[in-house]
Parts: sequence; structure tokens; C-alpha cells
Amino acid sequence: MKLFISLINTLILSTTLFAAPTQCEGLYYGNEAPDILNAKLLPKTQELCYSSFALMHSGISRTPLWSAEHLSKEGLRHKTKRSNDFHPDDQLSTDERAELSDYARSGYDRGHLAPAADMGDKQSQHECFTLANMVPQNSENNRGIWSAIEGATRHLTNQKGELYVITGPIFSGSPIKRIGGRVLVPSKLYKAIYDPSSGEGAAYLVSNTPSNDYEVISISQLEQMAGVQLFPKMTPSAKQNTMDLPDPQEYHGGSYNNTTNKDIIHLIEKLLKRMF
Amino acid sequence: MPTQPFMAYENEIDSLQIDTLSVENRLDRISLYGSLELTKDRQGLEAALKLKRIIDASIDALKRDKNLPDRIEIKVSESVENPF
Repeated sequence: MKLFISLINTLILSTTLFAAPTQCEGLYYGNEAPDILNAKLLPKTQELCYSSFALMHSGISRTPLWSAEHLSKEGLRHKTKRSNDFHPDDQLSTDERAELSDYARSGYDRGHLAPAADMGDKQSQHECFTLANMVPQNSENNRGIWSAIEGATRHLTNQKGELYVITGPIFSGSPIKRIGGRVLVPSKLYKAIYDPSSGEGAAYLVSNTPSNDYEVISISQLEQMAGVQLFPKMTPSAKQNTMDLPDPQEYHGGSYNNTTNKDIIHLIEKLLKRMF
Repeated sequence: MPTQPFMAYENEIDSLQIDTLSVENRLDRISLYGSLELTKDRQGLEAALKLKRIIDASIDALKRDKNLPDRIEIKVSESVENPF
């Protein structure tokens, strides 16, 4: 009976929420891009594919609604030196895209969704500096907890071998802030992680404030909050569970290639599990 | 080592990395964040020179500005209705 109910559930889900076709190969889990569930997010959206990430751009907020990456241990091994140019995205019409002048003197950082440190080669490094991959982000948040969450995600990739990661803004409450008369400021930011080796996932969630606080929530909680079905191919039951994610405070300062105490503890845990 | 001059406060474009120190050029500020080891070797010297080039360019630009305010002014963000 249980199986029957879950079959029905899957059928209902797959018929009512058919996944949006994606032009961006190899960046989404099961090659299925997220589905927008909140109809208000839909107008003026445009999918953009780059060599190492894909994003859904909104001409309403003039920010991405998400950026998606398929991270692998091998991909993170190549580190290129970062010397790059922030630039508006030529693939977007001028009335829908953010310009450098929108962020100027705003006090906000141009916060990458797909981070530069994930990018393995010169082309993808350059691409991730497009303003289509940016949101106005509180500078302390960007350089503090957020940078640590990015480091922890790379660390987890090195542990697991590969991860599918979707990073996005949440615009909640009203009124919300706008800079340059054009670009909406997100109230929260999330980084959703799916581990294909175990079928598990979870997400980091932070407020776009100077605080270093963060939460780890389930994919289903996040999908409700974001109004987006993030991993259409993930099972509904796995979405209810919250996978263990590393404590970002341990990975601050970008030293994600070094072996930390956490790595050693993790290794010991693995060995112990195998023994008993 | 890149030799093109760093045009401090002249654009919102430049972003560069020295070790894990990020440098961003903006119209109202130069943002430096992350960390940097100036190791006692050739790499350390190269990194120190890069940092010096940025600091020197910033000081020059600040000194050149005859109307330097006590404090910069941030454009206040507006409050708008959430379209989502």
C-alpha cells in the first residue's frame, strides 16, 4: 500500500509539474532544469548556458533566479589565477539586464551565485563575472559566512566526488529593496546541494545581512520558500530529509584544499563504519 | 606579472586575485578581502609587489582628488513592492 501511494504521488508530481526543457547540457541533475512553481517568477525569464554553469535570469529582478553547477573533484583541482572583468551580459536585452552602474555606489557587493573559485578554466572564470550571475549582496555576508559556505561546498565535493549545486536568491516580504532604480536586493540566499551517490540533499540558507548565521534545511522546505522545484529528478522522500552538510565555519578563508581536522575525523568515522 | 596600470577608482570592472586576497576596483572604493601570505620567497615578493602596485595607485588617486570628502556617500536603496 505504501508503495502504491508513493507511486501515485510520483505520478501526480510528474504530470502536474513537468520539467522545463533545458538547453544547458550536463549541468543539471538528470539534465532537468528546475521548475518555476511561483507563477510570479515566470515573466521575463531567460535561461543562459555557460561552459561550467547555467542560470535562469529574471528581467524583473535583473538578477538570476538561480545558477546551477555540476561540481566534481577533478574539476576543482585545476585552479586558474583570477584576474577578471565584471561585465553586463550581452545575451540579455538592455532593459532586462543589470548594468555596472546599477551597483555603483550602492554599498552592495556584486555577489556571485556560481563562485569564481569553482571555475576550472579561463573561459568559465571570465563567464562567471557576468552580472547575470550576480545579486546585490551585503558585503560582510559575501566575504564572511557566504564565502565559508562556498568553501564547505567545495570540501564536500572533494569528499563525495561530485555534487549538483543550485544557488539562488529569495525575495521575500514586502517592500523589498532596489538599487540603481533597477536591481532587486534579495532578502535571503540559498545554496542547494544534491549528492547523486546517495540520492540525498540539503541546503544552506542565509539572510542577506551582515550576520554570520546560517541554517541547513531540507530541499522540500527550500522549494516551498523559493517557489522553485530545484531538483525535479530527486525523489520526494529524499527531499523531506536533510542531509548532513559540513559546518561552514571550518572552511573560512578559502583553504579548502588543505586537510582539516574535519577531514581526519571524517576518515576515522568512515573506517569505523567499515569495521563495525 | 601583469604590468598594465591599476586604474584605481576609475571603473567598476577590475577584479583580481593575489593568493586568496580579492581586489575589486569600484568608483567609490577599492575592496580588498580574503587573506594573503607574503612568503619569504620569490612568490612572496611577486605578491608583495602586486599589492604595492594597487596600494600606490589608490594613494595616488586619493591624493589627486582635490575634493576628497571626509566620507563617501552611499546611494540610498529604494523600497519597492515585491513583484514576486
